[in-house]
Amino acid sequence: MTPDERELRRALDERSGEPSPEFRARISSLRQDERSPSRTLSSIALVAAAVLTIATIGVLLVARQALGPVRSGPASATRLTSPTATPFPSPTPTQVFLPQTAQLSAPSTDILWAYFGQGLLFRSTDRGDTWEQRTLPTQNLSPFANVTFVDDQHGWLSTGGSPESECNGEGAGIWQTNDGAATWQQVALVDGSGPSVNGIGLAQCKENLSFVDRTHGFLAAWDANHQPTIYRTSDGGRSWTGSTLPDPPGFKIQAGGFTLRAGLVKGFGSTLLVIATDSQGSDYVFRSIDGGATWTPIAKAAVGADNIALATESRWLQLIASDQSLETLDAGKSWHQYPTDYSQAAPIAPVVSFGDGLVGYATVRGSIQRTVDGGMHWLIIKTPGT
Amino acid sequence: MSDDHAEHLQQARAGDGRAFGDLLAPVLDPAFRLAMTMLNDRTAAEDAVQEAALKAWRKLDRFRSGAELRPWFLAIVANECRTARRGRWWGVLRFADLDRLQRGAVTDRGWAERADLDAALDRLAQHHLLALSLYYHLDLPIEEVARVLGCSPGGARQRVHRALAALRPAMAMEVDV
Repeated sequence: MTPDERELRRALDERSGEPSPEFRARISSLRQDERSPSRTLSSIALVAAAVLTIATIGVLLVARQALGPVRSGPASATRLTSPTATPFPSPTPTQVFLPQTAQLSAPSTDILWAYFGQGLLFRSTDRGDTWEQRTLPTQNLSPFANVTFVDDQHGWLSTGGSPESECNGEGAGIWQTNDGAATWQQVALVDGSGPSVNGIGLAQCKENLSFVDRTHGFLAAWDANHQPTIYRTSDGGRSWTGSTLPDPPGFKIQAGGFTLRAGLVKGFGSTLLVIATDSQGSDYVFRSIDGGATWTPIAKAAVGADNIALATESRWLQLIASDQSLETLDAGKSWHQYPTDYSQAAPIAPVVSFGDGLVGYATVRGSIQRTVDGGMHWLIIKTPGT
Repeated sequence: MSDDHAEHLQQARAGDGRAFGDLLAPVLDPAFRLAMTMLNDRTAAEDAVQEAALKAWRKLDRFRSGAELRPWFLAIVANECRTARRGRWWGVLRFADLDRLQRGAVTDRGWAERADLDAALDRLAQHHLLALSLYYHLDLPIEEVARVLGCSPGGARQRVHRALAALRPAMAMEVDV
């Protein structure tokens, strides 16, 4: 073994570890609690298929009799452009288990939406004091699905898909609701079965869907070898156009993972801001003043932590810990210490969403805190479903 | 495959959780070690292995009789680790790392070199890190590395070489694969 190989083995050993007895016990109890569902599902699937077949034949026969002869005509160009209303079963209370991924969308001071990675959606109209569960268009969501709302009624959901190696490609479905997530309609689908008709390519992984009003939205895409793309729509998600983020000063994209990933686009009047993070955790802020057609890097975070919170166009926070948090009042040109009572147990940075310049929400692993004074003081609010 | 193994597999497929446990026990350690090297975070590694165990339990019908369980399960774990690293939680720098970054200049040259290598592993693309972890940390034979990666042994050897090349700025490797 060469010294360098020994060094590599040492470095890998140091990252590694043995499972704890508690974890072994947890895995053991998991296996005993849950029976393999495959056989049960097979039986259910057979029965369901039989029932559906009989019901479908019945419905078709009735329809044929009611409508008379079937008329022929051109087939629908594609299902991508023909939105389909979804069935919407009544929401049933479902428990949220912490910790888990949570995503907040705060379109205004009082409205707050919370989406949990296990596939649950909640809405609050009183800053998170009370919550009601809302429906999702499908339960078949990837871990990278995300939601965005512009008020208490209008929102969009990106389902995510199954990523290819190095995120070379990934399908995605985009759904829209206009009635507060009671019903959803699919407005765009990327599945690689043919050329894109909505402007979103199969290439790159899709994430961070965000809308700044009822028609203008953005979807980020990235992979391990190319510049990130930000798709934009101005018709509520039916058609999209992509543009790439340029390399910021001091960073050059290289194949093999040294690329950028863009976050959620935030709108402040005619100015759009988006934060992109490189593979080493450094954050860069990009600005667009032409609706997302071109992006310009304008600042770099004081410390790389993927936790810049954009309160206004020029006032941003980096919540790290109560004595380490930072604030900029000039869009990142200068940073100074910011006194805040924000604290949390988890040793990772929170994701912060401001509804306006004062009211904001921070979440880490499903726990939620609220500020009403721009980030100086924070109050823990109850996570819905817990 | 031993008779015990085949019997456990048959019982597990029939829905016997205890038999599945017996089947999984010998591969739990390498699975956890792989998740730790991939994610460098105990909580995240536990989550990934737990999710992989549930998926393996649900997909057991697809496991081919006569095949080896370890590469099959490690491939599921590797996939869970890829998913975890794509998640938003992963895009953040841990506070402990902030302390390390803010500690200032390093005086010990050896420490600096080790830190360079550790940082290079942190930055290494997932597929490279996976190849190195399987071959150099779990010490799997190249044929088994190939089964986890879903490629030929020659392809696996090439992937390990490429991973070393990607790591080379941090260390001058001279190894036989």
